[in-house]
Amino acid sequence: MNTTVAFILAAAALAGLAIAPLFLNAYGIGLLVGMTGYVVLASAWAMFSGPTRYVSLATVAFFGIGAYTVAVLSETLPYPLVLLCACAIGLTVALIVGLSTLRLAGIYFVIFTFGLAELIRQLVTWYEVNVTGTLGRYIFLPFEGIHIYWQLLALAAATLLLSWWINRSRLGLALRAVGDDEVVAAHAGINVSRAKLMLFALSATIITLVGAIQAPRWVYVEPAIVFNPTISFLTLIMALLGGATRLWGPALGAIPLFLLFEWLSANFPNYFSIILGVFFIGIVFFLPQGVLAKIEGLRRPARKAPPENKERSGAA
Amino acid sequence: MSSHLQITHLRKRFGGLVAVKDVSFDVADGEVVGLLGPNGSGKTTVLNMISGALLPTAGEITLRGVRISRLRPDRIARHGVARTFQLVRPLPSLTVAENVLVSLAFGRFKHWGPDARDLAEEKLAFVGLGGRGGENVANLTYIDQKRMELARALASEPALLLLDEWLAGLTPSELQIGIDLVRRLQSAGMSVLLVEHIMDAVRALCARCVVMNAGEIIAHGPTETVLKDPGVVAAYLGDGHA
Ligand SMILES: Nc1ncnc2c1ncn2[C@@H]1O[C@H](COP(=O)(O)OP(=O)(O)O)[C@@H](O)[C@H]1O
Ligand SMILES: [Mg+2]
Repeated sequence: MNTTVAFILAAAALAGLAIAPLFLNAYGIGLLVGMTGYVVLASAWAMFSGPTRYVSLATVAFFGIGAYTVAVLSETLPYPLVLLCACAIGLTVALIVGLSTLRLAGIYFVIFTFGLAELIRQLVTWYEVNVTGTLGRYIFLPFEGIHIYWQLLALAAATLLLSWWINRSRLGLALRAVGDDEVVAAHAGINVSRAKLMLFALSATIITLVGAIQAPRWVYVEPAIVFNPTISFLTLIMALLGGATRLWGPALGAIPLFLLFEWLSANFPNYFSIILGVFFIGIVFFLPQGVLAKIEGLRRPARKAPPENKERSGAA
Repeated sequence: MSSHLQITHLRKRFGGLVAVKDVSFDVADGEVVGLLGPNGSGKTTVLNMISGALLPTAGEITLRGVRISRLRPDRIARHGVARTFQLVRPLPSLTVAENVLVSLAFGRFKHWGPDARDLAEEKLAFVGLGGRGGENVANLTYIDQKRMELARALASEPALLLLDEWLAGLTPSELQIGIDLVRRLQSAGMSVLLVEHIMDAVRALCARCVVMNAGEIIAHGPTETVLKDPGVVAAYLGDGHA
């Protein structure tokens, strides 16, 4: 019953959001595109990192792969096939990376994912300079902002629906168990590596699609633009601020922060990175569980905080 | 006859320390075997190797003739081995019922949906936590967390249960309840390997015991005989235990 009402409300909101750009100018549509893009990025990031607590900075690696795939293939293949290729490449990279790194715990995983994004950027740059002899590429696709927005909106709806479904599934329970204590999860019969790999790959594929869909916005792309590490940090801050373990958390973090960062980068371009850093530290210190959890905590003040996680990878 | 759990020449080395040296024993179908020994003698390490938390340095472990040493813990769990941990390890972001559901959903029989909810409640009721499935595990007392951990272990419907000092820290009346719980499991046909310091519990539950000291088995046999063994008494006294 409750679910039915929630679905009807969500469908109505989706319809409203779909017609919203018809009443906006190009600038407004641009904002909607950016905002929806980050809603998907943050939600997809939280799909894996929320329950497992593996903090990934690889967002831009996949985002960039998506964008570059479109830049390279958009002249030779029909658009739907280009998107499919982007998904396939993102998925393949995610599986390779996941297989080799999901055994890493804590900070090593963070550093590795950050390094991965840089590595892919350098590889693409090297390839473009030394093999194709160009650095940038032009994308000529007959899309306006509104077409990109509609695609992103559909992807956002699909992502939230998928997250909702995973949360209620056995896989969702497995991931939350893994996030709490991998040893206990494994002893309960969960194939820990497979559960993590599946979600990492799914999350990365969605992130790749965001990059692919947004690519035509730039018209001209080069590695420094589409592999900009700020994208990884923004995604992470948004998801953490909203609360990475809730369905709507990342979206609720993404919308205000996107607008705030737009305003900051327009008005204080030189201090943008510093402000971003301060924000990041502030969120980690004051709202580690996210805003939604904070509000719920205020409503239920008697609730005790869960005890500190015991050493998570040590043997029993 | 091939026994239920068979451990042969098991060995574990941590760097320069050999925590378990050449340990061999078995547990028959439906038997409750005590694994005793002073602190640091290697009991938990043996359990860790059976459950797959640690890889043996050498030796073999078979369950009903199937070699389980070198399998991943999740595979071993699905072969029918479940355990509790010496220091309780609840999953804190899950409710009490969800902690049990994890084992139901991924254990031997993969229960999910309303049927799994009912089974979780049944397991919780068995350990004395009936009706408390919706609670946050952080709100449970230490003893109730231990009960929940037993319910979680039982939820995978194991053929072999490994209990690591599960009775430690209970009050005398709780201890009696705990002993009765293990008895009921035994009469239901479950094999149990019981690591325990409380001799009353060992006497009440185990017909047979294995005693370890410094990684080696120093005595093995019927409980009463083993507990009178001068070597066993000396090992316990030497470690400050009576
Ligand atoms: N993961 C580990 N790494 C290094 N040493 C360990 C590890 N686990 C246990 N030990 C050591 O192995 C020995 C046996 O420990 P343990 O099996 O826990 O004993 P018991 O359970 O009988 O008290 C101890 O000396 C302990 O310090
Ligand atoms: Mg021990």
